[in-house]
Amino acid sequence: MNQAALAFRSAALEQMASLTLPTKRDEAWRYAPHKALGQLTFGPATATDAVLGDIDSQIPHIDGPRIVIVNGVVDSAQSQLDTLPAGVKLVSLAGMPADLVESALDRQHDTIDDAFSIINRAYGEGGALLMVDGRPAETIHIVDIAVPDVSQNASASRVVIAMEAESSATVVETRIGHSDAFGGSNVRTEISLAADASLEHMILQDLPTTQIHLGRVDVMQEAGSTLRARLFNLGSDYGRVAYHVHLDGEGAHADLSGLYFGFGTQTLDQQITVVHSAKNCTSRQSYRGVLDDSSTGIWNGGVDVRPGADGTDSEQSNDNLLLSRKAEVNTMPRLEILADEVSCQHGATVGQLDDAALYYLRSRGIPNEEASRLLINGFADQMMDDLESDAIRSWITERLGHDDA
Amino acid sequence: MLHVENLTASIGDTSILKGLNLDVGAGEIHAIMGPNGSGKSTLAHALAGRDGYEIGGTVTLDGVDLLEMVPEDRAAAGVFMGFQYPVEIPGVNNMYFLRTALNSVRRARGDEQIGASDFLKGAQDAMDLVEMNHDFLYRSVNAGFSGGEKKRNEILQMAVMQPKLAVLDETDSGLDIDALRVVAAGVNSLRGPDRSMIVITHYQRLLDYIKPDFVHVLVDGKIVKSGDHTLALHLEDHGYADFVNHDLDDAPLTGAPA
Repeated sequence: MNQAALAFRSAALEQMASLTLPTKRDEAWRYAPHKALGQLTFGPATATDAVLGDIDSQIPHIDGPRIVIVNGVVDSAQSQLDTLPAGVKLVSLAGMPADLVESALDRQHDTIDDAFSIINRAYGEGGALLMVDGRPAETIHIVDIAVPDVSQNASASRVVIAMEAESSATVVETRIGHSDAFGGSNVRTEISLAADASLEHMILQDLPTTQIHLGRVDVMQEAGSTLRARLFNLGSDYGRVAYHVHLDGEGAHADLSGLYFGFGTQTLDQQITVVHSAKNCTSRQSYRGVLDDSSTGIWNGGVDVRPGADGTDSEQSNDNLLLSRKAEVNTMPRLEILADEVSCQHGATVGQLDDAALYYLRSRGIPNEEASRLLINGFADQMMDDLESDAIRSWITERLGHDDA
Repeated sequence: MLHVENLTASIGDTSILKGLNLDVGAGEIHAIMGPNGSGKSTLAHALAGRDGYEIGGTVTLDGVDLLEMVPEDRAAAGVFMGFQYPVEIPGVNNMYFLRTALNSVRRARGDEQIGASDFLKGAQDAMDLVEMNHDFLYRSVNAGFSGGEKKRNEILQMAVMQPKLAVLDETDSGLDIDALRVVAAGVNSLRGPDRSMIVITHYQRLLDYIKPDFVHVLVDGKIVKSGDHTLALHLEDHGYADFVNHDLDDAPLTGAPA
């Protein structure tokens, strides 16, 4: 390991000594299963002996470059890195050339440190580095697989995406787990968008419901750049993805959306913060939740308008459908405005299936159960309305157990 | 075909239909007219099977008891209701909805399922019937449709479902004269010896286009007068005053026909 990476990690390892896990009193972790979080065991990335078998049946079939990370270690055999499009560099973080270390690891984002971020910095030495200087047409697929092991049941990994000025790309991060044992993954994604760059970034979270996923995405955007971030938060017993998007250059735009769909006793947690610190930036947050059985959804979405970020335009919406009396959702739009001429709108709804719509469908002969399913899918499918990839659309609809209308 | 005897409907302590009798023969069109609050829409929903009413009396279609059935079973038995306020269902595409509906009733009747391409042909013919742009098949059910488009969509559904009994609840409300003509033409083309219709309306106007065999006046939950289509003309000239007797002065007859 080179010096820069070592310094970065040893600082984190020092912090590990006095690490305290988040508690119920931390607003951002209020609904997390604290006992289970305490049972996750992390350590330096080690290749697993487990035979993963066919991973293709668990992930969308996307043509294009692919990097597969298993327990923080890149699995070359499962990856497809031979023919990368022009302007794309996609490599394992661990084997990364020294000159890239600083930009990739030592970013001074507006960091909110919590125990799991520190753990990720200490142990998340493996993962993927993607640098784009161009406009590749192919979608880049980053697959993260957690395989609980006897020595450590949880993995830490990192994805670094650097978009050069005026570049454009689509990146999909699929996160799954292997085996039904308790464990999970802690994945940190760091994205930087240089001036006028544009990125479509998607997370498909689908770990087994015996596991925990802790995802965190930090984005730094320069002037005129555009981020389209989508989240499909479907798997895990506790599936959490936190976004921290910093609009740091004039006229930057971030459009975040997502769907969480919980069954059983799942808890699906989205923690979103968009910081406006430059003039005339726009941001959108649009999330939908469907909660069945005894599942819980959390949407904590914030917009933070810093002094000088005049002309900010932001909108937030969170709509939820509760399908059972035992299902629960906690929705919290937050706004902090310290600038002038700002337009910030937010709204949240929690509802049940619309009786009038159900009756309408049934009056056309559609049986009650199918009519309910049609309405639920209709509600959820709207989060896929402008999804271009058929492969991803069909993976999601199949995953949610319904035909693609 | 349809036999309604002493039908009562109430919500909580409020009784809405108070012993309604009606017989509709095969191929006949019956118009039901009446002031606001007289129970016209409740009659339609009582036939279609909406939850929330206490229902009494008898309703049979070709001898089969409808009142015991849930709405989807009534649809399978051949009942179709055209809604006064068609419901918007964002995210559910019109074609998928229509095909699911048609195949649901076919399954209930033990008929074969219709494949996507055969269905599409039939649906496009039905769309031409109500002069609807074929694009509407790919839009969400009623979402963002204008008032007239929603009503055309109801008739489109009726054309696809081919019901035995169609109950059209104020299909003319919210329509301009051109849309009214299109909707009425659609309804007329679906007339047939095996299909009965109940057309509920405030106005005689619709009945210029859809000529009923019988007209009934519904006041305070009962049919107080029945006749041929000339009864509608009488109502147009004189309003419902003749039929609202003094016992009913306390009845909630607020609001003139809008």
